[in-house]
Amino acid sequence: MRYGHTGKVLRVDLTRGTIATQVLDEELYRMYPGGKALAAYLLLSELPKGVDPLGPENMLVLSNGLLTGAPFSTATRFTAAAKSPLTGGYGESEAGGFWGPELKMAGYEAIVITGRAASPVYLWIKDDHAEIRPADHLWGREPEEAQATIRAELGDKLIRVLQIGLGGMGAVMGSKNLKGIAVRGSTKYLENAAEPSVIADLGKTLAKRVKENPLSWDLQVKGTPGLTAGLNASGILPTRNFRAGAFEGVDNIRWEQYESQLLSARRSCYACAVRCKREVKVDDRYQVSDNYGGPEYEAVSGFGSNCGIDDLQAIAKANELCGRYTMDAISCASVVSFAMECYEHELIGPEQTGGLELRFGNAEAMVRCVEMIARREGIGDLLAEGAKRAAAAIGGDAHFFAMQVKGQELPMHDPRGKVGVGLSYATSETGAEHLTAFHDAVLANPDSLQFKGVVPLGISEPLPPRDFSRRKVEYYTVMEHWNNFGKTNGLCYFGPAPRSFIAIEEVVDAVNAAAGWDLSLEEMLRIGERANNLTRVFNAREGFTRKDDTLPERLFTPLEAGALQGVSYPRDEFERALSDLYEIKGWDVESGVPTREKLRELGIEWAADLI
Amino acid sequence: MRIHLGGHLGWYDGEKRDWLTIEQSDPISLPALAARLGVPPEEVAIIAVNRRLAHWDDPPVRDGDVVEFFPPMGGGAVGGG
Ligand code: SF4
Repeated sequence: MRYGHTGKVLRVDLTRGTIATQVLDEELYRMYPGGKALAAYLLLSELPKGVDPLGPENMLVLSNGLLTGAPFSTATRFTAAAKSPLTGGYGESEAGGFWGPELKMAGYEAIVITGRAASPVYLWIKDDHAEIRPADHLWGREPEEAQATIRAELGDKLIRVLQIGLGGMGAVMGSKNLKGIAVRGSTKYLENAAEPSVIADLGKTLAKRVKENPLSWDLQVKGTPGLTAGLNASGILPTRNFRAGAFEGVDNIRWEQYESQLLSARRSCYACAVRCKREVKVDDRYQVSDNYGGPEYEAVSGFGSNCGIDDLQAIAKANELCGRYTMDAISCASVVSFAMECYEHELIGPEQTGGLELRFGNAEAMVRCVEMIARREGIGDLLAEGAKRAAAAIGGDAHFFAMQVKGQELPMHDPRGKVGVGLSYATSETGAEHLTAFHDAVLANPDSLQFKGVVPLGISEPLPPRDFSRRKVEYYTVMEHWNNFGKTNGLCYFGPAPRSFIAIEEVVDAVNAAAGWDLSLEEMLRIGERANNLTRVFNAREGFTRKDDTLPERLFTPLEAGALQGVSYPRDEFERALSDLYEIKGWDVESGVPTREKLRELGIEWAADLI
Repeated sequence: MRIHLGGHLGWYDGEKRDWLTIEQSDPISLPALAARLGVPPEEVAIIAVNRRLAHWDDPPVRDGDVVEFFPPMGGGAVGGG
């Protein structure tokens, strides 16, 4: 008997128009219990080397975690993974909301999509029933409208529709002519859980805890936009394309202004009492619809300080356009600040921008540029390719202004003030990513709530944010394995350590109560480590090596302003830390590739034969 | 004196405020101020006095100053939803 999961994977071949259901055996699922681990396993074992990410042979995997859809806070996330058109390596993103839980209720752990439909289609899944339906009439429609049309034609208002658009995984979905995936399921999570009462009790405990725990209270009241002022004071608020770490206009974009100028409601993902999602509405200089989520911190900083802009309405508009055109806000904002710096250095001019004065601080030009990217108009067509490709096309010093790693733009966190985040940016298999391990401040004070939360992982020694000792790298590694397990089990980053709204023991108990297993924390960390190694092997097979684990050159130059003015990312220590990291992970220090011994130890020696 | 309690530090204020004004005509050290506000020092990572970065052992503050306390600032947004 299997619990907490059905093992069912829906296989959709859009070229042939066929659908089949595969059932994974329990032993296999235990090795890769959903999310990132399952996606990485499927992609590595089934995709050959060298496929065109936008060709029909690429595979798009949408996979739930074991806990996705469990009725307790933060158990909401699914993974979308494929070979990435942005990096040419393993590509992945996680998302919360309601879609993953609905897919779980329909009885599937994952959907694997291959091929390419001859004309636009969408997928409709209702429990055991799945079909491919024409979507010509949805082409060019905005997400809200397309989703309303789908719900109307299927006659069910409660259907959840997944739509992802430009950039990364969305581009893969688009290349398959797949417009969306509509899902409706009817099996409650607890019906399949081994010990439903343990899960239900956790749900009640967490719902009560939200307001009693300062960290979740903060997320509920302010959400991520609450970070802006503190990062500015710390000297690490990305400003003008990472030139500075403090922004003179911060008072106009900090949380208090966001709350009074923009906020219209607080929203949640499925069954999550944290309710950290913001909804905003503006009817003034800009019209911002409340149909799309409000800007997260990343967008506030990305379209704000990092573009030298202190106009919250413009920021909200740019963010809304990202939602409307299903673009990733981090990448989009970063490519705009890149273009602004190219403009200021006259690498591009009004001829390329269609007369747009694309300078830092020009809010109208920023919003217009986002529109041009979304519609691929003028220079927007080039910028939509991402900062790395745009820089190559522009030439000259443009590459210096492209704040990206492996083709993925940097999130709005400056590693010059938290060196471990630099290690994330450099080594993450998906390119610059900030939720890989931790943000160093977690380790600063042993008496703090966040530090106490990570103690069960064997973390005991406090370390300052700019400490780059081997001990820091060891802690980094265990946190990376823990987070990879999180991306596998379907819990949101804001639940377990380092946010520590949910204790590590509670996660361990929930996993075992869901599946009827008896896994220890160490075994769960190994699941995370295994997922990490699978993605590493995926990239190694595509030719990635140590030389790709690097950072944008600008980070090795001093910050121009703010509390950390004059501080650079430490180049020598970085190289040493990289060697430490490979050693600790059991990877070859020269190449950064997992050794056969390591893969054998993780029970995936088959992967060594693929490199 | 104007005081800002950033991030989750506002939770420790009885009324859960993130900005408050207190009377403090005598100079008060930063640790004593945090204690008066009920903010645990181990949750404070960054202090700014009148917009400049400050430290626990800096000179005392008084009426007319703006003091901002911030917790350790971690990771930002996650996608989706
Ligand atoms: S904490 Fe926020 S992002 Fe995470 S599941 Fe809850 S509402 Fe969604």
